[in-house]
Amino acid sequence: MSRSRRLQRMSSDSSSSSSSTSPERDVDDDNDSFMLQPNDSQSSLGVDISSDTSITAAARMAYEERCRVSPVARLPAELLISIFARLGASSDLMSCMLVSKEWARNSVGLLWHRPAMNKWECIQSVVRSIRKADKFFAYQDLVKRLNMSTLASQVGDGCLMGMAECKRVERLTLTNCTKLTDTSLQPLVDGNRSLLALDITGLDQVTDQTMITVADHCLRLQGLNVTGCKKLTDASIQAVARSCRHVKRLKFNGCSQLTDTAILTVAAHSTHLLEIDLHALQNIESPSVTALLTSCPHLREVRLAHCTRINDRAFLDVPWIPESPIIFDSLRILDLTDCNELGDKGVERIIETCPRLRNLILAKCRHITDRAVLAITKLGKNLHYIHLGHCQRITDLSVEALAKACNRIRYIDLACCSNLTDTSVTKLAGLPKLKRIGLVKCAGITDRSIYALAMGEMKGGKRMHGASVLERVHLSYCTLLTLDGIHVLLNNCLKLTHLSLTGVQAFLRDDLLSFIREAPQEFNNHQRDVFCVFSGGGVSRLREYLNQEKAHALAGGDSDSVTPSMAEGDDDMGLDGDIDGDNTGDSDGSNTPVISLDVHGSHPAGGTPILHGPGQGSSSGVLFASQQHPGGSWQHQHYGQGHGQDGAGSSSTARLSQSAPSSMTMAFGPHMWAGTGSGTISPVSAGHLQHHPPFIPPLHQQMQQHNHGQQGGAQHVTGMMSAAILDDVEEGDEAFGEGSEILGD
Amino acid sequence: MSAEGEQSVKLVSSDNVEILTERKIAERSMLIKNMIEDLGAPGEEPIPIMNVSEAVLRKVLEWCTQHKNDPAPTQDDDADSRKKTTDIEEWDQKFMQVDQEMLFEIILAANYMDIKALLDVGCKTVANMIKGKSPEEIRKTFNIQNDFTPEEEEQIRRENEWAEDR
Repeated sequence: MSRSRRLQRMSSDSSSSSSSTSPERDVDDDNDSFMLQPNDSQSSLGVDISSDTSITAAARMAYEERCRVSPVARLPAELLISIFARLGASSDLMSCMLVSKEWARNSVGLLWHRPAMNKWECIQSVVRSIRKADKFFAYQDLVKRLNMSTLASQVGDGCLMGMAECKRVERLTLTNCTKLTDTSLQPLVDGNRSLLALDITGLDQVTDQTMITVADHCLRLQGLNVTGCKKLTDASIQAVARSCRHVKRLKFNGCSQLTDTAILTVAAHSTHLLEIDLHALQNIESPSVTALLTSCPHLREVRLAHCTRINDRAFLDVPWIPESPIIFDSLRILDLTDCNELGDKGVERIIETCPRLRNLILAKCRHITDRAVLAITKLGKNLHYIHLGHCQRITDLSVEALAKACNRIRYIDLACCSNLTDTSVTKLAGLPKLKRIGLVKCAGITDRSIYALAMGEMKGGKRMHGASVLERVHLSYCTLLTLDGIHVLLNNCLKLTHLSLTGVQAFLRDDLLSFIREAPQEFNNHQRDVFCVFSGGGVSRLREYLNQEKAHALAGGDSDSVTPSMAEGDDDMGLDGDIDGDNTGDSDGSNTPVISLDVHGSHPAGGTPILHGPGQGSSSGVLFASQQHPGGSWQHQHYGQGHGQDGAGSSSTARLSQSAPSSMTMAFGPHMWAGTGSGTISPVSAGHLQHHPPFIPPLHQQMQQHNHGQQGGAQHVTGMMSAAILDDVEEGDEAFGEGSEILGD
Repeated sequence: MSAEGEQSVKLVSSDNVEILTERKIAERSMLIKNMIEDLGAPGEEPIPIMNVSEAVLRKVLEWCTQHKNDPAPTQDDDADSRKKTTDIEEWDQKFMQVDQEMLFEIILAANYMDIKALLDVGCKTVANMIKGKSPEEIRKTFNIQNDFTPEEEEQIRRENEWAEDR
């Protein structure tokens, strides 16, 4: 290595170590960057050398010696820090601090960036160090993130007071630290000019005093979440809006005192606003919404759930020039849950002005009709998430059109849309990306819908879009559904993680109780009696149980199970099968449509519908098929064949086994069976026959893998705006805020 | 583009050795990429890599050759480099099995030549050498002298005790 190069390094090293002693340095600081050195340092070096050669030479030799002994000394502070930044555990950083003074200087900032606040002892230790008189480093200035939400309600003012000296905190998260008041919060934000994000969700004792201090000092504030801070008034929110001109995300949920006065000021000043949530601000009226839309052009997410005084004027009053309409191109998420003054005209204007809406939530907008939904179809591929729960006036007419036009829908909720029938659901079932469908209290739907959901879109007898991506299906109070219909769904939708069937008679069976997740605490006894939700492992255990039960039933009393289904023919059996619901114990499931699988499956395989598909179910296959492909030929072939095989029993089984492919994976693809419309039974079901005894475990495994791979996959969180992802436990009153999806795929 | 990639460029190390390499390989270095763009006529004029000696430059180019077809870094990768994962792919692990002098020279060169992915691998390698070690073991690994007094050491330990069990 050349000498001049080492000199450069030396100069960079010395400059970096001087700057790194400053408490101000942080990871992003690259004024000591090695890269910056060569150009200017070369010239300055020349001066140095000529001015005092002997000192430079001595220093150079010392440096060279140090690097020879310990090559790591060559790294400038910047690089040392970026190495330390890769150490996950603070215990490792702690060890680095104790190595040498240089290492301590370069690791302390990382260690204190976000001090541990998850245990009392940690908080006490942190506070003790911060308040100490002669400490080794100025720890209080190194704290950039302060999060006390783990201990939440245990944290009192006394504790937070100890952190008051930390004036460079950028993110302050005190979610649900409900004991905190202005006493500790106001001094902490007082004088802080670094604060970017403040979350004081649930601090209902905090008043305007703190917020006005925020407005006076925290001019860089970008995100503010004051959910549930009921004491806040227009005055402080106006002050914040006027002085914090960079705000991007605002969450005022349940700040019940706020009125249009505050929101109009926010609209007028916050030109960078991206997200706003005004959940349940009952005083807010349409002009606030009009103003937000018109003056905040970057708005991406607007949540107005339960702002019950908002009406069509909110959208109709946006200046409208037909020739060159104002388009709110950035808006992706609009939540109007329970804005029940809203009507079709308002929705039509929303669609005209916000063509790129991705999530539209109109739950409980009870006035809207097919006209609004037909307008929504104009969103086309942009629409991913639509909630129309309790929009009871809508009918199959518009829902069919919606399914046709918006084929990227991933999430749809139609709870309590009681006009809807199987016609809607069979169309929706064809959505290739559908992950979640809510049909609670769509009491008219039958197993026909469930088979459609199980099979997805079919073309030429084949499943069109590969394996089912369906994850969450809500069917509570769809009273016509049967156990066998759901069994088919379970076996075809291996990604299913949530299945709710509360109030469905066919599922009121003691033997299923162990798969049901626990009812929420607030439920009364009656609610507990009908509660029936399967989630996570419960779904897989239910699937496995039903498969085993079926196999068992077939192995045992064939005669019982075969006869009734034979007798009942192939149509609409699901409708009257289990409705009186008292099937208990082993007779259950034997007189329901899918059992006709058993018919043609006089072989032991009959119990696992997935393998059979149409072949399986003379009845289910035809049910479904007659819906999708009237007059299609393959089903009938299978159907006929199923019957033809009747009684042929073991001999046909033997014949089939010969042609069976050995691959198990083939057997899993529900789309596989459909392809063979030939006179012989599909090779897949034959394959299944062969493998029957050891079969159930692999199915189970596969399913678990699926579940595992996608836990929580459907829900993403954006910014601070969707902190709470509510799950719907009992869907009569669906949790409408089921998490917002991330913007941009 | 592929024609451009196959062009050769001439690099000159700090100890004045010329090294000929493919343009596509050299352009894993943003420093060189920008220089070529500024110079306009690649291949003709030698590009000085002032801070990197021949031995190190050859080593760096070996890495660039192996990774010449990697997808271009995106914005996300920047954020990723902050990620605390210290997984290193197998080839890179072997590549980094060098003495410490070379290891830190590679890191410095990657930083100077602006090759983010190589810098990342280098930093991860060093981080892995630190993980799970006591201060004394770290000093031994890197031959660092302890310049704390026992009192200072005790003070730091006390002031940061909250970090010890995480």
